[in-house]
Amino acid sequence: MSVSRREFLKTCAVMSSVPMVGLAPGVAAAQAPKKGGTLRVGFYIEAATMDPHLSGSKVDRQVYHNIYEPLVTLDTKLGIRPGLAESWSQPDPRTLVFKLRRGVRFHDGTDFTAEAAKFNFDRMKTEPKSVRKGEVASIDSVDVVDSHTIKINLKRPDAALLATLTDRAGMMISPKVVQERGAELQRNAKGAGTGPFEFVEWVKDAHLVIKRNEGYWNRQGGPYLDRVRYRPILDDTVKLQSLQSGEIDVMDYVQPRDVAAVKADKNVVVLDVPSLAAFAYQLNHQKPPFNNKALRQAVAYSLDLEQIVKGVWLNVGVPANGPIPPTSWAYDKSIPYIKRDLAKAKARLAEGGKPGGFEFTMTTANIPINVQEAEVIQAQLREAGITTKIKLVDAATQLSDGNSRNFEMISYQWSGRPDPDGNIYQFFRTTPGTSLNWSGISNPKLDELLDKTREVSNQAERKKLYSELIRLLQDELPMVYTVHPVEPKAFSPRVQGYEPIPDGMMRFKDVWLK
Amino acid sequence: MGRLIAHRLLATIPVLLLVTAGVFALLHLTPGDPIDAMMAESVDATAKDALRRELGLDRPIPVQYAAWMGRLLRGDLGRSIRNGEPVIENVSRRIRPSLELALLAMAISLTIAFPVAIASAVHHNTGVDRLGTTFALFGICMPNFLLALLLIFLFGVTLRWLPISGYVDPLEEGWAGVRSLVLPAVTLGLALAAVVTRTLRSSLLDALAEDYVRTARAKGLAESHVIRRHVLKNALIPVVTVLGLQLGTLIGGAVITEYVFALPGVGRLVVDAVFARDYPLVQGVILLIAVGFIASNLLVDVLYGWIDPRIRLR
Repeated sequence: MSVSRREFLKTCAVMSSVPMVGLAPGVAAAQAPKKGGTLRVGFYIEAATMDPHLSGSKVDRQVYHNIYEPLVTLDTKLGIRPGLAESWSQPDPRTLVFKLRRGVRFHDGTDFTAEAAKFNFDRMKTEPKSVRKGEVASIDSVDVVDSHTIKINLKRPDAALLATLTDRAGMMISPKVVQERGAELQRNAKGAGTGPFEFVEWVKDAHLVIKRNEGYWNRQGGPYLDRVRYRPILDDTVKLQSLQSGEIDVMDYVQPRDVAAVKADKNVVVLDVPSLAAFAYQLNHQKPPFNNKALRQAVAYSLDLEQIVKGVWLNVGVPANGPIPPTSWAYDKSIPYIKRDLAKAKARLAEGGKPGGFEFTMTTANIPINVQEAEVIQAQLREAGITTKIKLVDAATQLSDGNSRNFEMISYQWSGRPDPDGNIYQFFRTTPGTSLNWSGISNPKLDELLDKTREVSNQAERKKLYSELIRLLQDELPMVYTVHPVEPKAFSPRVQGYEPIPDGMMRFKDVWLK
Repeated sequence: MGRLIAHRLLATIPVLLLVTAGVFALLHLTPGDPIDAMMAESVDATAKDALRRELGLDRPIPVQYAAWMGRLLRGDLGRSIRNGEPVIENVSRRIRPSLELALLAMAISLTIAFPVAIASAVHHNTGVDRLGTTFALFGICMPNFLLALLLIFLFGVTLRWLPISGYVDPLEEGWAGVRSLVLPAVTLGLALAAVVTRTLRSSLLDALAEDYVRTARAKGLAESHVIRRHVLKNALIPVVTVLGLQLGTLIGGAVITEYVFALPGVGRLVVDAVFARDYPLVQGVILLIAVGFIASNLLVDVLYGWIDPRIRLR
């Protein structure tokens, strides 16, 4: 396992040091990109809405990153790069000033200005259905300094805000479209963005089409493709067959069980995109048995993560030492994941007053790979004398059980955020009422460290704080982490110029068809 | 006939009331609500509560049901909570592929079932009959999703004759649309053909044993004439019953087939809506499916009278 883990990290390093990954090495380098063609993309699910401020679905973001643009963007190493903002500065910890790019137009022909940016932030904060409220909670107000400068006033220092603005919370929608179209924007994003592609049509349940933006401000590289056509194909096997038979050119995600077979197929190119995700289980601190720290530790010591990653995830991922994935600058590879140690597990059981073991219920989503993982965990815990009942639920029930703390141990698969803050703060900070802190942990030391990570803006210092946090979390165990998955994407060999960014979003600006 | 239809339509009112009230209660008793499902990432509890108030989800369940009923009586099915689209638009878009698929599947099943059943019944207890029975058992036992994947692998991936998934409307694009429906229709049609074959075979056997068949043969009528005019028409009643029930199931319940072939039908719509706890959408679709079932059963009753005048006279 240690070898494949090292290989994985090496792959991350190699991928992030090569700015453009040609999919067919050797061929891609020799050919110049050419214009034209329609890229056909298969998705696992239908998009939910075209309004980035109202979107709570990952698949929506895949489309957004081609038609909308955020103020700042991510590079392959998760560094922050200019987007619609040319540059930014932080005169003091509570102020963030963005110089906006000039000469950018929305697809409806209106100019992108400081007024437009302010309009977007105000809408995120006040629109009743806005799903962005939590992400922009630290923003107090936005001032227009001049036609292309905005000043963001923060309620409190927020070192993670820049990274948050690389996604939906930083995406700019044409104010004219918002005002004129209202709720209809959810279904029709014509003219709404500034991105390299323009929205054309969305025939619900059939396809969503975008076309090249001929007036795109960035003249370097693409967009090359005439059109991109997204189609929902729900069944994984059918989606794969569609790619193999040439009905689609790209699929967003290959299931671990299919990875080996697809890699052997010469008509398909697979790219392992390391993700930002952390998959785990939350342990309820507010009621027995897991209000008892020794029993939480007994569970952690009983688990064999190596076996879980190998047997369930088929090595399409690595064992997790905590919430921060290997793709992040904050990942500390000197901290090992918790190794299985049955003797220690037994000792902790005795310490927790349950030398003969105990019984609890594990809640997890009724999805094949989750069920498999639950069954492996159940078997591993049994060897330590711990009996587990598995309760399978659908997504809405899982969220409601979690929010109301109606669980003992519950699975939590977090897709991850570019800044480590997004994988850690909201899960462990003491929060009254409902929050993502389902475990209900409230630990002064943890709170202090978490608050410090937001106040310090120096990356090296933040990294040290995160390492300290990971060690503390491995001891306190509000959550037991299992795996940082890899998200393999598969392409037809015709597809060239795709740049894998660990947030998993497929940006097609520089993609072309051979 | 007019009285029969009027009587049946009146009888549907309590059925629909019961169905909608039952679904409403069950849905609200299920853990999870649309706001949690929609705002999984947002941790702002006050925003969630505000939205719940705005959508009226904080009111007691009977009050919510009464409000929904009130809107329904004014012809308004409401809007989807998830994306704000009017339920009626969403449902009417989804009903088309479902209806086309159901009708095509039915046509395929009848094309297969009639010759097989007649051959089986006429050559009762011979090799032909056993072959027919084997086919029927195979069709009944074969799980839908497995058959679908096998068909895709053969006709889509290996031979590349037909598209693997997706939906094109045959009413708009003709042949391309029919092609997109062939594999799913065969998947559903084969299973249905098996059921129809079994039903038709046994009712044909009953009819073949009747005195009027012996009389017809004694009159010297050609065997094919006897089968068509005397046996088949009298054996049709159970088949029509089966088809009537299956039509409703095909429209609302072809979830797995719709899922595998990425067809935007009603079955998938209701399942997705339940997972999203999109209450108005679920209510709207269930109401539609219930109406569909009632309508197809009414159609069956009318057909009974046409096939067998004795039923009409009673």
